[in-house]
Amino acid sequence: MQFSNILRIKSFFISYNNIIKMLKIYRNLIQYKDLLLILTWREISVRYRQTTIGIAWAIIQPLSLMLVFSFIFTYLMPTKVSGYPKMIFFYAALVPWTFFSTAINYAIPCLVNQYNLITKIYFPREILPISQIIVAFVDFLLASILFVFFMFFYNISLTWYVLWFFPLFIQLILFTVAMSLMLSSLNVFYRDVNVASGFVMRLWFFMTPIFYSIDALSIKIKLLLFLNPLTFIIENMRRCLIEGRGVIVWQFLIVSVILLIYFFASIVYFKKIERKFADVI
Amino acid sequence: MITLNDIWKQYKLNNITHRSIREDVVNLFKHKPISNQPDGTFWALKGINFSVKKGQCLGLYGPNGSGKSTILKIIGNITSPTRGTLQINGRIAPMIQQGAGFHLDLTGRENIYVNASILGMTIKQIRKNIDAIIEFSGLDKDMIDVAVKKYSTGMYVRLAFSVAVHTEADIFLIDEILAVGDEDFKKKCMNQILHLKKSGRTLIVVTHNMDQMEAVSDRIIYINKGVIQ
Ligand SMILES: Nc1ncnc2c1ncn2[C@@H]1O[C@H](COP(=O)(O)OP(=O)(O)O)[C@@H](O)[C@H]1O
Ligand SMILES: [Mg+2]
Repeated sequence: MQFSNILRIKSFFISYNNIIKMLKIYRNLIQYKDLLLILTWREISVRYRQTTIGIAWAIIQPLSLMLVFSFIFTYLMPTKVSGYPKMIFFYAALVPWTFFSTAINYAIPCLVNQYNLITKIYFPREILPISQIIVAFVDFLLASILFVFFMFFYNISLTWYVLWFFPLFIQLILFTVAMSLMLSSLNVFYRDVNVASGFVMRLWFFMTPIFYSIDALSIKIKLLLFLNPLTFIIENMRRCLIEGRGVIVWQFLIVSVILLIYFFASIVYFKKIERKFADVI
Repeated sequence: MITLNDIWKQYKLNNITHRSIREDVVNLFKHKPISNQPDGTFWALKGINFSVKKGQCLGLYGPNGSGKSTILKIIGNITSPTRGTLQINGRIAPMIQQGAGFHLDLTGRENIYVNASILGMTIKQIRKNIDAIIEFSGLDKDMIDVAVKKYSTGMYVRLAFSVAVHTEADIFLIDEILAVGDEDFKKKCMNQILHLKKSGRTLIVVTHNMDQMEAVSDRIIYINKGVIQ
């Protein structure tokens, strides 16, 4: 009984159709790369053209949160958060978090906003949320430049463990793409998603180790926080960047497998309901 | 070559609650959908069969709510049929309709890039053709860099035509554009449709004006309540 269930789940993921869907999304990205480029470029230029300080906005968000948290934990509620300077400790987590939350916030309404395009012409719909993620990625790159500056400023010594950042970042991208595809398409059917997202993202922020570290927590609480994939990703990014610590390989593998399954499922789901967008939107 | 084999399309009526206010307001004046099924679903198309040869122009004629736009959407791969199959050879241009297939916040120029790249042009090719596209559309130089949501219906349609004509699209779906705009605009549209026909493109045209329909179509299909009469 249970075994047959497992087989069914397995066949869901490995079915021929679903693998075709996976390959299709990849082929679409290649075939429609000019469209992706145009939408992304346009989004970036407008966002920065309309504002007077332009690209600085990408840095202001994580930077201001960093300053506020440093202020709180230095003067209002003096706490020793970790052995590292608070500023860089917060900033190292705020940068990936800001990438994730910005991407989600941009992506959720993007399909609904483009009903006029969606109801008049066919193109692979994933292009729209993915272009929003690329915009958030550009912001992320800018905010990272400041991070490198902080690294020098606080005289953080680099170790080879820094290289762990890249596989962790791939995990973050997998998770961001999966969440964006899922939430933006759900928003087509239930506009509540957009309404709830601001509130949920705020809760999510506190449930992610950004202004605290999970190091000293009991194993029970740790496990609870690990239900949030960002806990693993962001905590480890900070460890390898500023604390000179590596990632536990078996943990990394487990999280990777879970994220890959989720990523895969979100694509299958998105490609399946994409055909209904025009009827409902 | 377009062939529709026994196409059925069912809508769920509760879908309507999610539709855009703009479209709902338009529909308010057009027709009220009435469920023809006890479970709150609605068959917009009930077994549509026809085929259009390359270079032909087919006219669709019928009262509001009879399913004409739905047929165009199915051919354009914008929505999928509930039942039935279709074969299409050729690249389909965006439906030319009120509002056209534009990204509302982008300027006319940016939308040329978006639509042309969806239709398979590379950025390089678009750069080469953009002046010709703008010129063909007849839009003012200063309007082309304004967000298209500020365009009038006539401007939308002119730009949509112009982009589609300059790409390799060979199937054009034209939905009730002749109903809007003044005499001058109608005449220009007619000329553009005839121009498309002459260049060997396949067309499906929906209009309520029988004279115009007869002037451009090789064949006219009458539809009522989702059935070909
Ligand atoms: N997305 C949709 N959801 C639910 N019903 C729809 C949708 N689109 C069209 N309909 C219904 O299907 C019927 C046919 O619509 P349509 O093809 O637009 O008619 P026409 O273009 O001939 O006026 C109408 O009754 C309309 O209300
Ligand atoms: Mg119609």
